[in-house]
Amino acid sequence: MRIAKYAVLLLALCCAVPSFAQVPFERLKNSDKEPQNWLTYGGNYGSQRFSGLKEITPKNVASLRVAWAYQLRGGGIMESSPIIVDGILYVTEPPSNVTAIDARTGKPLWHYVPQVPRDFVPVGLFPTNRGVAVLDDKVYLATIDDHLIALDAKSGVVRWNSLIADRMEGYAITQAPLAINGKIVVGVGGGEAGAHGFLSCFDAKDGKLLWKTYTVPLKDSDPGADTWANGSWSNGGGTTWNTGSYDPELNLIYWGTGNPAPDWNGEGRMGDNLFTCSLIALDADTGKMKWYFQFSPHETHDWDSSEPPILFDATVGGKPRKLVALANRNAFYYVLDRATGEFLTGVPFAKQTWAKGLDAKGRPIKEDAAKIEPSVEGTRVYPSLTGAINWTSPCYSPLTGLFYVNAREGYADYIKGEPKMAPGNSVGIVGGGGGGGRMSAGDDTTTNIRALEATTGKLKWEHKMVGDSWTGTLVTAGGLVFSADAAGNFFALNADTGESLWHLLLGSSVRSNPVSYAVDGKQYVVDSAGNTLFVFSLP
Amino acid sequence: MKVIRPWYAAALILALGVLGLASPAAAQLTQAAPPPHAAHPRATPESIAAGKALFEGTCANCHGIDGSGANGPNIRSAAVNLGPEGLYARIRGGAIGSGMPAFTALEDAQVWVIVDYVGSLGHEGAVLATGDAQKGKEIYDANGCAKCHAIAGQGGNLGPELSKIGVLRGTVKLQAILADPGANLPLDTSLQERAAYPAYLVYRVTTKDGKAIEGMRVNEDSFTMQLRDANGRLHSVQKFEVQKIEPLPGKTFMPSYKGKLSDKQIDDLVAYLSGLGGAQ
Repeated sequence: MRIAKYAVLLLALCCAVPSFAQVPFERLKNSDKEPQNWLTYGGNYGSQRFSGLKEITPKNVASLRVAWAYQLRGGGIMESSPIIVDGILYVTEPPSNVTAIDARTGKPLWHYVPQVPRDFVPVGLFPTNRGVAVLDDKVYLATIDDHLIALDAKSGVVRWNSLIADRMEGYAITQAPLAINGKIVVGVGGGEAGAHGFLSCFDAKDGKLLWKTYTVPLKDSDPGADTWANGSWSNGGGTTWNTGSYDPELNLIYWGTGNPAPDWNGEGRMGDNLFTCSLIALDADTGKMKWYFQFSPHETHDWDSSEPPILFDATVGGKPRKLVALANRNAFYYVLDRATGEFLTGVPFAKQTWAKGLDAKGRPIKEDAAKIEPSVEGTRVYPSLTGAINWTSPCYSPLTGLFYVNAREGYADYIKGEPKMAPGNSVGIVGGGGGGGRMSAGDDTTTNIRALEATTGKLKWEHKMVGDSWTGTLVTAGGLVFSADAAGNFFALNADTGESLWHLLLGSSVRSNPVSYAVDGKQYVVDSAGNTLFVFSLP
Repeated sequence: MKVIRPWYAAALILALGVLGLASPAAAQLTQAAPPPHAAHPRATPESIAAGKALFEGTCANCHGIDGSGANGPNIRSAAVNLGPEGLYARIRGGAIGSGMPAFTALEDAQVWVIVDYVGSLGHEGAVLATGDAQKGKEIYDANGCAKCHAIAGQGGNLGPELSKIGVLRGTVKLQAILADPGANLPLDTSLQERAAYPAYLVYRVTTKDGKAIEGMRVNEDSFTMQLRDANGRLHSVQKFEVQKIEPLPGKTFMPSYKGKLSDKQIDDLVAYLSGLGGAQ
């Protein structure tokens, strides 16, 4: 009798405590209903990086203080955007390690280090990692040497390990995968190493490849092959190196693609070079392309279109529309219909000197080639080599209707070189990009937080900063925007007005996207500086 | 605008210091000892050209196509600061605490040609000095240069150290600096987060009560600025506490020697300076 009583009590306790990281697809789909968690890389499937938490407000943010900090086990700079599930925080460390941490106290629970070959140095990117995905009882990691690994969320034990691509062909991965219904979607990097871009989808249960869609033709009969002169698609490009978004209702995946190869010398690849520098919408079940929109046809400045696509719904021209917005590395802000890919709006959000404007379909009207094309002596063009934005994420608040972006103002003197592509042999590759650029530096480069009206791109307010910041933005229901400047000042702004409300110097540069979560009703804000993850809360 | 209370910031800095976190980015760089390797062969035009090609493919994405920095820092002075062996070790072993990986897959010979190329940066169009270095040293001493500049541990600390200036700057550049120092400010690459600001740039800060401070910018972020005035005194400025901050481009604390010294004397001074640090 007594045993039965305890059994009932135990059962009741088990039901009361949420299972450790049980995250079915339904929870991911409805992540806005549990603002205490941060369940996907972009905060929700629309990559809005909007936190519904409102304990921290413009009135009390001045009391924000460090609750705990976590230092990297190895070296390097942390660029990871953590996932938080029911009080557990999952963060990645360079090159491809994962740590699970008690989100209340900062105490590590487990640490996973994959076997990455010591001699592997990726071409054209830092060997880092920007986060994991969670689904059901597993944590999913894409490694720098192109493995997709499923870890047990409780223990960090490897459940399966699948190969995404061959690192000897120039592929390297730094992004967080995207978990959807029973599937894990992941892209690849390596656009400077002759890698051929693709997006792939694996069965979340066993790591079996479900589909793989290339972004650049593999043969002359492939779609888009006629936009590459003389079969120049063979050099590759169009990598998919930053995490995309998902619309469960349309069942479409949205992913940005990178530069054509070689980057800065386009002479050998005349044509639009599809589907590089584009946003592609793929059917999540088949990987079939539903539509594409190319932002920068025949791109020659390394302005990848890999920026996170932000999904939101709004009324445009009197009609309710399903929209996707993207602040592009080429300095234009675009709004498209995400069901059809129809171009609706495109305006510069940072200084640019390469286009006279966009035509009615959103195609750029380029300035004269002599003014903008890379040359042997260098051609000065805005934005810079690293772009008006790079991999860091903007955010969108459904409460203010504003799109918040850390916008870079700067130029580069773009240099054309001899392309020496060596597809299939990226180790020690020589001059794969076919040129490069001298970047503006010091006082000639600034980054500024800009709040744009999401449907039009019209500037509502701006927060000026000193230096070249590499930090994304977070917006909260409490009415705050968080980001950081180049020196490592983590700060809070009023989301309506841009007024600066609080800052704290973290002592090293901040290269990550802030997130927010809550445990037992207490709100925390997270960002990393240098090799340390900082977690803030009210006293 | 509100700022964090000073005691709180101080406590955090103290805590970070205990954790070994508060040291500047540049000081954090450490690396593993390189494995045994072949000695540095003599640099040739061919090795520099081969190094340039490798550099463009392997290093330029972070350090810029001419080493002036992109995602990573400006490394045009790296060969001087680290020496060939030090640079070899940095490429082979990486720099822990930064994004610099260990390039273990490169052959020894490939690393050495990259070292040769990096060593050649900043020396384009070098012209040999024609003056009398001994007389140049006398001119240096007689004009009080040592009040602001240090050579081999001796001298002041307001202006840049000149112990290796002959390796860092060519004769043409030295001539230009002596004639118009304000138009030839060096880029400061010592702090990673400053991303190559012009060093020694003079600013005027006007406080809310109308007082003006003139000083060289030592550092700056979105909220604060640190200035050193002509007497070497440091001023720490909170931007929200002052009325106006304006750069004074062209102004420096170093006088122009054009007209003060004869062309011959400037040639001699340049000959002395260009011999510092093992050049010529």
